[in-house]
Amino acid sequence: MSSDSRVSSLAEGILKGSRRSLGKALTLIESRLPNDRVAALALLETIYPRRKTSQRIGISGPPGVGKSTFIEALGLHFLEQGRRLAVLAIDPSSPLSSGSILGDKTRMELLANHDSCFIRPSPAGLSLGGVARRTHEAILVCEAAGYDAIIVETVGVGQSEHLIAKMVDIFMLLALPHAGDQLQGLKRGILELVDLVVINKADGLFLTAARQAVVDHKAALHWQRHNSERLAAEVHLCSALEKTGIESIYRALNERSQATYEQGLWEARRKSQDQLWYKSEIHEQLMERLASNPGFRKLLQEMQAQIDASELPPPVAADRIMNQLIRKITI
Amino acid sequence: MSKQYKTGLSDRGTWEKLAQKDCGAVPLSSLDRKTPEGVLLKALYTTRDLEGLDFLDSLPGFPPYTRGPRASMYTVKPWTIRQYAGFSTAEESNRFYRENLAAGQKGLSVAFDLATHRGYDSDHPRVVGDVGKAGVAIDSVEDMKILFDQIPLDTMSVSMTMNGAVIPILAAFIVAGEEQGVRLEQLSGTIQNDILKEYMVRNTYIYPPIPSMRIVGDIIAYTAEKMPRFNSISISGYHIQEAGGNSAIELAFTLADGIEYVRAALKRGLAVDSFAPRLSFFFAIGMNFYMEIAKLRAARTLWYKLMQEFQPQDPRSSILRTHCQTSGYTLTEQDPYNNIIRTTIEAMASVFGGTQSLHTNSFDEAVSLPTNFSARLARNTQLIIQEETDICHVVDPFGGSYFMESLTKDLIDRAAQIIKDLDAAGGMISAIQQGLPKLMIEEAAATKQARIDSKQDVIVGVNKYRTDEVSSFDVLDIDNTAVRESQIARLLRVKAERKAEAVARDLKALEEGARGGSNLLELAVACMRSRATVGEVSDALRRVFGEHKAPIQSISNIYAAASQDSKDFNEAKAAVAAFSEREGRQPRILVAKLGQDGHDRGAKVIATGFADLGYDVDIGALFQTPEEAVKQAVENDVHVIGISSQAAAHKTLVPQLLQLLEKEGASDIAVVVGGIIPQKDYDFLLRAGASAIFGPGTPVPKAALETLQSIERKRRP
Repeated sequence: MSSDSRVSSLAEGILKGSRRSLGKALTLIESRLPNDRVAALALLETIYPRRKTSQRIGISGPPGVGKSTFIEALGLHFLEQGRRLAVLAIDPSSPLSSGSILGDKTRMELLANHDSCFIRPSPAGLSLGGVARRTHEAILVCEAAGYDAIIVETVGVGQSEHLIAKMVDIFMLLALPHAGDQLQGLKRGILELVDLVVINKADGLFLTAARQAVVDHKAALHWQRHNSERLAAEVHLCSALEKTGIESIYRALNERSQATYEQGLWEARRKSQDQLWYKSEIHEQLMERLASNPGFRKLLQEMQAQIDASELPPPVAADRIMNQLIRKITI
Repeated sequence: MSKQYKTGLSDRGTWEKLAQKDCGAVPLSSLDRKTPEGVLLKALYTTRDLEGLDFLDSLPGFPPYTRGPRASMYTVKPWTIRQYAGFSTAEESNRFYRENLAAGQKGLSVAFDLATHRGYDSDHPRVVGDVGKAGVAIDSVEDMKILFDQIPLDTMSVSMTMNGAVIPILAAFIVAGEEQGVRLEQLSGTIQNDILKEYMVRNTYIYPPIPSMRIVGDIIAYTAEKMPRFNSISISGYHIQEAGGNSAIELAFTLADGIEYVRAALKRGLAVDSFAPRLSFFFAIGMNFYMEIAKLRAARTLWYKLMQEFQPQDPRSSILRTHCQTSGYTLTEQDPYNNIIRTTIEAMASVFGGTQSLHTNSFDEAVSLPTNFSARLARNTQLIIQEETDICHVVDPFGGSYFMESLTKDLIDRAAQIIKDLDAAGGMISAIQQGLPKLMIEEAAATKQARIDSKQDVIVGVNKYRTDEVSSFDVLDIDNTAVRESQIARLLRVKAERKAEAVARDLKALEEGARGGSNLLELAVACMRSRATVGEVSDALRRVFGEHKAPIQSISNIYAAASQDSKDFNEAKAAVAAFSEREGRQPRILVAKLGQDGHDRGAKVIATGFADLGYDVDIGALFQTPEEAVKQAVENDVHVIGISSQAAAHKTLVPQLLQLLEKEGASDIAVVVGGIIPQKDYDFLLRAGASAIFGPGTPVPKAALETLQSIERKRRP
């Protein structure tokens, strides 16, 4: 099949709601082959105007906090309301083998078996940033397939929170009771990104600790800058295992979406995300294209040699390269 | 005179010099081997190794029972030959039992099908492929009565492997006895009722741990009061070893489970001597001959010591009595007659260890259920040991052996340490909830598989001394559809003939009882009397207790580490890397278990091994239907689905899966099948559309390579 017809038949399948087409489209987007990248961009262009408006939710948290169990509990509320839910989960790969074990769906059995739900775990490969970049594209494709609620799940390891927060409407951080110590470890920058903090495992012996954690987090969130572009962050309590507190989180999500929509904040956030995305793609694609250009690679190596020989300070070397580049550009 | 023979005790160095000559250039110290248990096996043991052993001078029938639970052991009465069997319908199993009893078997041991284990009636949509397959289908008392037709339950001891649906099954057994005119106190035998190990291995649980422990307690209480000849529980290490655990892990987890059950019974106010004598055990016996003998001796010694904490007055309360079964894991599909020899060696280890009853596996059990022929050979293995040899004439023949006594001590120490660690983690139930024991077992299994694949461990006919000769023999095939239809017909009849109000009343009482504190077995007996079904009783309890969902944890880099960079491993890894270079992503496989078969060792070993080779591995939830597996495969857009099957449902479920793939427009997803698949089913599965089949003993790198080829073939037909 030619690349064009492959793209158009995929697009057609996606718009008709074919699970198989959506699955294959996500593979195409994640592919490391240059030809696939060309096709993926063509696909994105085709489906872009046909998307459904969705509620995009990012969920992050440390390993063992119960993200999958929480998503299973929360996701059922979306489905009960007759909505269609897509879950995009980013899982770490082994640096030793490049392989991975993806077990998220075993903890989301009810969602996984539900007709209106689509779950795709993606191995992060060697670069978490790389796959997260594709996740943003995956969101667009899921919207074209008619999913009106999209959850992006990632394990919190510092870097990924920033990436995910820049592609969702609401960014949630899951935390455990006894979070005082975790708060110490949390970079202030991450709290800046958070819309909702959820203390999970507020059950049994941990209930008291969880209530304390709410207080601690609320205090910590005071550091968040107040500005007119966003609503203040909230802190909630739940037990994904015992399914308590989940419904009120679902309600909070919707109320928040409604409020941001009415105040024009939703649209502003999406716009500013697109601007950021655009800039970062220019940066990434520029580097990728240049890196695959033999002449440029040669130039890089020459300058590198001069740096290694302490003949040139690094900024001067970089400046020389840029000057040569700009001379070539004739827009 | 004797003095001149004492050459080297004070001077072991003399022996070492002499032995070193035999070794040539190899250092003598290389003869010391570290076992998977972490025990150092030396090439020579002497009286020195007996120093400080507190059980050395004990006698059989006396504490700490190292030398045997009874004074006379087999010199008066040999162990009970108890073969585990059951398949198809109650009629078929009943016929098989009666033939075996006529041929010299002494006790019965019932295998139930997986639908029954998981508390589903035969007409439930989730069990289409499972009914009658790996055991007999029991839906109500009517089936149970047929199962024991013409078998007098007042004299026959009956062992039942049942853990999940233990309440309705034991109740049905009681009512079947009652309707034969047998009183409760006459019933003898054993119910496995060991739920804790189900959460670690085997996975035939229904409810979460806490309500399940209450069920265990109810059964212990009921039998303690009313069924004095019945073992209320069979605390099982068997499945732990089968899942890959070594002897120390098996021993430690089993005794730790036992202690939890004792505590649970004490907590309900039972006196220790009222139930502890009826606790029984069940161990696997594998190919580590000495280690397995030591394991049974160590188990008795350690149990005695552990039980002293509860201050029993009755000596029987701290005597460990056990059933043993030869290992199914050591059976091979390749060169299968070797299995007869393996089973013989394992049977002898069980006997030297002092078991109370024994099941010997049939040589064909690596691929299917036993036939009459293979079952006879298995039974005769025991009869020959009992009646042709002089093995039974001496009690504890290994007693006093420098090596055996020392090994017994080493194993006691190892197991005691693991039990201590478990206590530190908050006890067995808490450790299970955290998934710790399961992880330990899975690590041991991946390590073991890597040792076999890299030929560090030898298996004759599999990774060494292979033969091209094909052994052909008949295998038993169950027409699963026919069994299911006949079960459904009987269910309909039972439901038509019973009094609906009585059933509803009794089920309601059971449900109320579950919410409160009444004895559930007592209430279930009433339900079974009024002809409620196994599924209905299980559902009543499900409504109150909910269902257990296993947290699936996974391990990585264990297989790679134990492969020690073997050639096969590196070749497979390179092939995976080359594939992903061409494809733009790693090969992606969904490892699925279909139907009610919870044996997931194979699936877990494949998952961790393939991931270590560079595959992206999606794990399917346990007990998936073909529909659910296909949905997952399509969403994740895997290249291939690998189905792991241990319980014979492949002939129903694999074709279903293939049809569903086609319906979803996903017939380019390859399907490979692994596990216990009889050779004669290979053609059937290949014709149905499977791309490759991996029998037991297939090395992981080989499976990984052939899976890649299957994917490529799908690309270019």
